[in-house]
Amino acid sequence: MSNTAPPDDSNAAPLLPILNQPSSRRTALKVAGAALGLAAFGKAVSPLMVIPENVSVDEFLQQHYKELSDDDKSKVFARLEAETKEHYGADVTISDPQAIPGVKFGYAISLSKCNGNGACMEACNKENNHHRGVDQSYIRVLEMSKGSLDMEHGSTTYDHTVPQDDKFYMPVQCQQCDNPPCVTVCPVEATWKEDDGIVVVDYNWCIGCRYCEAACPYHARRFNWEQPEIPAEDVNPVQAYLSNRIRPQGTMEKCHYCLHRTREGRAPACLEACPTGARVFGDMNDPESDINYVLKNKRVFVLKEELGTQPSFFYFFD
Amino acid sequence: MSTTTPETLTHSGTSDAVRSYPKFLWWGLSEATNGGVGFYLWMLVLTAISLVGANAWAHQVATGMIVTNMTDHVSWGLYIANFTFFVGLAAGGVMMVIPAYLYDDEEMHKVVIIGEAVAIAAIVMCTLSVVVDLGRPDRFWHLLPGIGRLNWPVSMLTWDVIVLNGYLLINLHIVGYLLYMQFLGRRPNPKWYVPFVFLSIAWAISIHTVTAFLYCGLGGRPFWNTALLAPRFLASAFVSGPSFIILVMRILRLTTGFTPPTGPARTLIQIIRIAMTVNLIMLASEVFTMFYTGGAHAASARYLFFGLHGHHGLVPWMWTSLACNILGTILFFMPAALERGSVRISACVLCIVGIWIEKGMGLIVPGFIPSTLHEIVEYTPSLTEWKVSAGIWAFGFLILTLLLKLTITVFNRSDVSHGKNHANLSI
Amino acid sequence: MSVGLVAITGLYLAANIGSPPDPESSRLSPVTSAVPLAKSTADGVGGSELPASRSTSEDANPYPTTIRKPIGPPQVLTGITDPHGNAVTVSCSTCHATRKPNTENKTMADMNEFHGSLKIAHGNISCLSCHNANDYDSLKLADGSRIEFTEVMSLCAQCHGPQMRDYEHNVHGGMNGYWDLTKGSRQKNNCIDCHNPHSPQFPKMQPTFKPRDRFLQAHPHE
Repeated sequence: MSNTAPPDDSNAAPLLPILNQPSSRRTALKVAGAALGLAAFGKAVSPLMVIPENVSVDEFLQQHYKELSDDDKSKVFARLEAETKEHYGADVTISDPQAIPGVKFGYAISLSKCNGNGACMEACNKENNHHRGVDQSYIRVLEMSKGSLDMEHGSTTYDHTVPQDDKFYMPVQCQQCDNPPCVTVCPVEATWKEDDGIVVVDYNWCIGCRYCEAACPYHARRFNWEQPEIPAEDVNPVQAYLSNRIRPQGTMEKCHYCLHRTREGRAPACLEACPTGARVFGDMNDPESDINYVLKNKRVFVLKEELGTQPSFFYFFD
Repeated sequence: MSTTTPETLTHSGTSDAVRSYPKFLWWGLSEATNGGVGFYLWMLVLTAISLVGANAWAHQVATGMIVTNMTDHVSWGLYIANFTFFVGLAAGGVMMVIPAYLYDDEEMHKVVIIGEAVAIAAIVMCTLSVVVDLGRPDRFWHLLPGIGRLNWPVSMLTWDVIVLNGYLLINLHIVGYLLYMQFLGRRPNPKWYVPFVFLSIAWAISIHTVTAFLYCGLGGRPFWNTALLAPRFLASAFVSGPSFIILVMRILRLTTGFTPPTGPARTLIQIIRIAMTVNLIMLASEVFTMFYTGGAHAASARYLFFGLHGHHGLVPWMWTSLACNILGTILFFMPAALERGSVRISACVLCIVGIWIEKGMGLIVPGFIPSTLHEIVEYTPSLTEWKVSAGIWAFGFLILTLLLKLTITVFNRSDVSHGKNHANLSI
Repeated sequence: MSVGLVAITGLYLAANIGSPPDPESSRLSPVTSAVPLAKSTADGVGGSELPASRSTSEDANPYPTTIRKPIGPPQVLTGITDPHGNAVTVSCSTCHATRKPNTENKTMADMNEFHGSLKIAHGNISCLSCHNANDYDSLKLADGSRIEFTEVMSLCAQCHGPQMRDYEHNVHGGMNGYWDLTKGSRQKNNCIDCHNPHSPQFPKMQPTFKPRDRFLQAHPHE
């Protein structure tokens, strides 16, 4: 062993009795080194000091949505509204609409009608207070070649007059699966399926591991890689806790069928924006609903059916 | 070497011994930080790199993960690639434990604690790799059962959290207990460590199987969705782990004069030969299945090996990995591997590099390319990611150095007091 | 917000209907009256207290579904203004009263006196398949009976039954408002809001909003 023996001062009084080490130059150097190391570490991780500024103690200790009492919830929403005002300069109201009993949402898109114009993406972006820098949206529209449903031949980056004669267009968003792989894999139950079929995310519970993003077969999930930036005048002030409130950095989000609208009976933003009327939404438990008309009368299919995810999002041709 | 021990530590009463464990650890820390100039230089460099990594991570937490090159298309990258490799490294230590305890390999008994020390360091690196990958590390407590909401047994990630922490605790206990007994000059009581050792054998298999299940259970990722992933992980772990341990033993010989017996390295090489062959056979099986059937499921494999639609960022990585693995295997099979250190070391390095790529960049990243909507977005790690990863590697080596230093100190001390002139880490 | 979207949709569509500025194109107006939709399917269950369906406009649902309608037959600009400065217009029958109807007229080439700038691309039908030779200020159904311009949807539906059936179930033509008619009303488009009757194919569009993802490059082969 190439260890060298320390200088033999072991008879002298201990330099620091509390550490119970022999006093010696080596010990003194070690202590100095340790102090220096700790200081250097503190300096190195000093950017973390921004966390106590941005994350209040209340937010840090906040429990899972399902464990919040109504009282807790109003406190949380009030805090979030105040934080939104402070950070974004916008007055917003955050509500918590519950699932309408007995309703199960279904959504269908007519591939005969969709012409890939992308108005749905823009409406989603505006409705859901997405980060403005990247024109994000929960919807991606694929330009597919007629004659094949293979997305290998699809493209999202088309930028020409639509529709092209040899193409058809397929918007893909969260399918609100009945057997959602994203819910299965979440380690902290930050995402779950509600009674009306919508798979929701508690943005204040998510730890940002992105396992759900890896698990989703439909590219439905988005991660907040940075703090969303939205000018105050662009903020949609009608918000809900589980849907379109401004999400924190480092958390997952996804399409939520505009539950702040649909649970109040309104159509989702993408449906209203669609200029070709390709989108159909409704209650699958209502035999008279539009979605049931589609399911009964049209040739309907779902994406990646073989994966067993059981989407409640359907595609059909006239 | 310091011979100073507070008097209380030599007392042999059990109650005193238990209370003295913290004192033993404190003594151990002070011993483990003694060394020559070379040692201090090594530790200084590792500390510096760790601090750079810590700073880069702090910056990432403050600014957001936009400072990495991960995207909604490729949402796991270098951190999880490293994580996968480190789990393999940790599991590989079991390849020393099995011969030592199940087959009563006398010589392996002498060095098995090195494997366990490597396992501890590797698990620490695993945990750090996952923590730096979290978008909200401040919400780590959400994972704690009882005060958070742990989605066990449904989510494989919860299994991973539990088995990795369990493995760390098991190994910490075994190493700590054995060193402490050695330090006290007492015979270790088998009932305090042998059950844990056998548990660690099964557990080591489980940590890597669970990690593989994380990936292979996802139907939306056809590149990973293969039954062969868990066996492949185990096979490659039993190459990378032992290779790493052989390298560590060589470094110990060079830096501390500790001369391990030659038997363990031979055993490890035999194990590596078999494990690597199995790994290559499994790789061939995967390649055949994907390319012979073809179709959309082979898109990721095509991207990885040959490039897809004009994108070929990972092609050089994959072929390098293949070359390293094959060359390493050939070297390991040569008789010179058993006789000549240079051949052995080269083979170890080649296999470690080859497997790091194969399990890391060559497994995690292509799982996301093409995306689930068949878009192609490529990925190379950003500077922040390299810094943080370097910091984790450096910190892991720091832990390993301290553990090994402590081990050697404890055994040297007892051997000197017992009149032996070379370290005998026999347990 | 939805009113804004209705306005935007209406303007957008008006701007995109394919024909060149045409003095004869009909003037669209906001809703004139609530038009309850016919009961949708034969086996519709009629509930008394609770709405049987939130999606259909039954009496039980308090909120109406309204459909946009044109205000009437098109008027032709004469180019003259009256003393108040308003444009003077004449109705179709003013000129057509002096002409003999020609059932053979189908294409732009056939109309060498007027209407020549009209783009006609509606299959192989003649003008008088829809226009009423007996009263040019109205339209006619297949059996010859007269209908007003405001009821043009019934005329479209005669030939385009499947589309009308889809329309009645909100599967064609889109909508603004509520899927749940117990909570709010719904506004729907008229056929001619999207389909120019003379050249009904839905016009091509230019995508104006695309996600700008990091590291996502446009496909080279496009």
